[in-house]
Amino acid sequence: MMKNQLTVTIFVLFSTLLTSLQVSSTELLSGAELINNNCARCHNSRPIQEFSKSEWKVIMPHMREKAHLKGAEVQAILEFMEIATTPAQAMNVKEVVNIAADPKEVLTRYGCQGCHQVQGAGGTLGPSLDNVISEKGRAFFLRKVKEPQFNNASSAMPQMPITDEELEALAEFLSSK
Amino acid sequence: MRMKKTLQLATILSAGLMMQQPLYAAESSERFVFVGYGDVKYESADVAGTDAFSARFVPIFLFSLNDKMHVEAELEVGLNADGETVTELEYADIHYFLNDNTTITAGKFLLPFGQFSANWHPSWINRSIWTPGIYGAHGSSQAMDPILPILSDVGVAAQQVYQVGSAKVFLDVFMTNGPRSEAEYDEEGVVDDHDIALARLISPTASIDPDADEHGEAFPEVEFEATNSDNNSNKAFGGRIAVALLPSIEIGTSYYQGAYDENGQLDIKANGVDINLISTHAILRGEYIRTETDAFVEKDYEDVIDSFSRNGWFLQGTFFIGHLFDGLGSTEIVIEHAQTKKVEEAERWMVGVNYWLDPRSVIKVGYEDTDVVDGPDDKRFAVQFSYGF
Repeated sequence: MMKNQLTVTIFVLFSTLLTSLQVSSTELLSGAELINNNCARCHNSRPIQEFSKSEWKVIMPHMREKAHLKGAEVQAILEFMEIATTPAQAMNVKEVVNIAADPKEVLTRYGCQGCHQVQGAGGTLGPSLDNVISEKGRAFFLRKVKEPQFNNASSAMPQMPITDEELEALAEFLSSK
Repeated sequence: MRMKKTLQLATILSAGLMMQQPLYAAESSERFVFVGYGDVKYESADVAGTDAFSARFVPIFLFSLNDKMHVEAELEVGLNADGETVTELEYADIHYFLNDNTTITAGKFLLPFGQFSANWHPSWINRSIWTPGIYGAHGSSQAMDPILPILSDVGVAAQQVYQVGSAKVFLDVFMTNGPRSEAEYDEEGVVDDHDIALARLISPTASIDPDADEHGEAFPEVEFEATNSDNNSNKAFGGRIAVALLPSIEIGTSYYQGAYDENGQLDIKANGVDINLISTHAILRGEYIRTETDAFVEKDYEDVIDSFSRNGWFLQGTFFIGHLFDGLGSTEIVIEHAQTKKVEEAERWMVGVNYWLDPRSVIKVGYEDTDVVDGPDDKRFAVQFSYGF
């Protein structure tokens, strides 16, 4: 009985200590980076389109405990999913036109560097984009973005609601590299 | 007349409920999700002489009560050898998100000891068709005697996540009902030989000295199956601390301790180390577990507590050959090696080829060769279609 009480006491004290600790935090990663960093630790990343936004809101708390995610990280992932599943046409037209003119903004908007490296910066879940057009061709790149699973059925790349203008600007940018 | 009124009332109420249903469904769609996984397997096992198909369905129910509380439950539904449907509660717990980096869990939960139990065991996640030998067969059979056949237990747990520079530190602690001896310990049945005691403890079917049989029946077998009761007042406790340099490396160490006899005198302690290395073209996963199990033995005509040590490990490599050769698409090769030492020593090699139909559906073909030191060797071939949904 004494041993049991000691166990409970240690557990309670330890839990209290844990919850009182102030944790230093660095800048929060983007949702795309968090997907790149965490999902593939255990399983293939699931395409965002597989579940609705409301379903992801219920699934992510489950994954928060499984993957040891912080609440703010879950929120960042959900915000990225919101972008990735929202048709660009529904957004502010002026904003879309401006973004299409700047391919770097396109990369940022769709979180491409969460999983891919561009000029040495970005994730490693997917291949680097620096030589994708020179090695695979422009047609491959355009189709891959539109139909991410066409050449690899297990690819976790989401089908982004990218406009044709944005895609062309991105292809032009990557062709010049 | 009363009957008629009752029917009218029931009709009105039903109509009212039906009118409410779409509204209720729309509201609940943001609170409840039904996911899970399942698999179909054909397996030919050498020693068991079996050659059969099997199937499992593992639904997971997720329910968000609010931003702070989340309920989850997983059932495993399968068939036994008699054709009866067998249902097992894998876990059923509630998470309370205390703050940004702290989660409290209560209920029946997957034990945060190592990574296999908590994260890698679902068949659409585990790259191998089989469970690593050190963890048991998880509802099936296998030639290796597991080191720690524990998946989940009932109790409470706390989890914290720290960001330390570019690294993340994961800390889990838990307290559960713990293990128990399957047969009650009888002091008159104390075994007087260390090896026999160990053999009985680890495996009731182990080949032992026939002279010990008169004692062997009374020696306890440690049972890890979770229940809503505890055979003693001592709770099992433990936890895991891990460091992760994401997305590439996660290394953890785990501890587990629990008394298994009624008097709370005999403990089983386990230490573990787990590693998970992820790269663009390969994944390397592995775990090492060492256990110390107490048992009464007779020494110089006195009963004393002695500890018996056992250890084992597995290492699993997955190579995405489809990344290197375009024509192979989403094909990967899996190689796994496992060993258990001390009593019931065994060694296993497994090779497999997986082909992913999409990110959550895989066809696995595998061959496993287990060399058991004191027992028949085992060879298995299997094809498994596993899917997450």
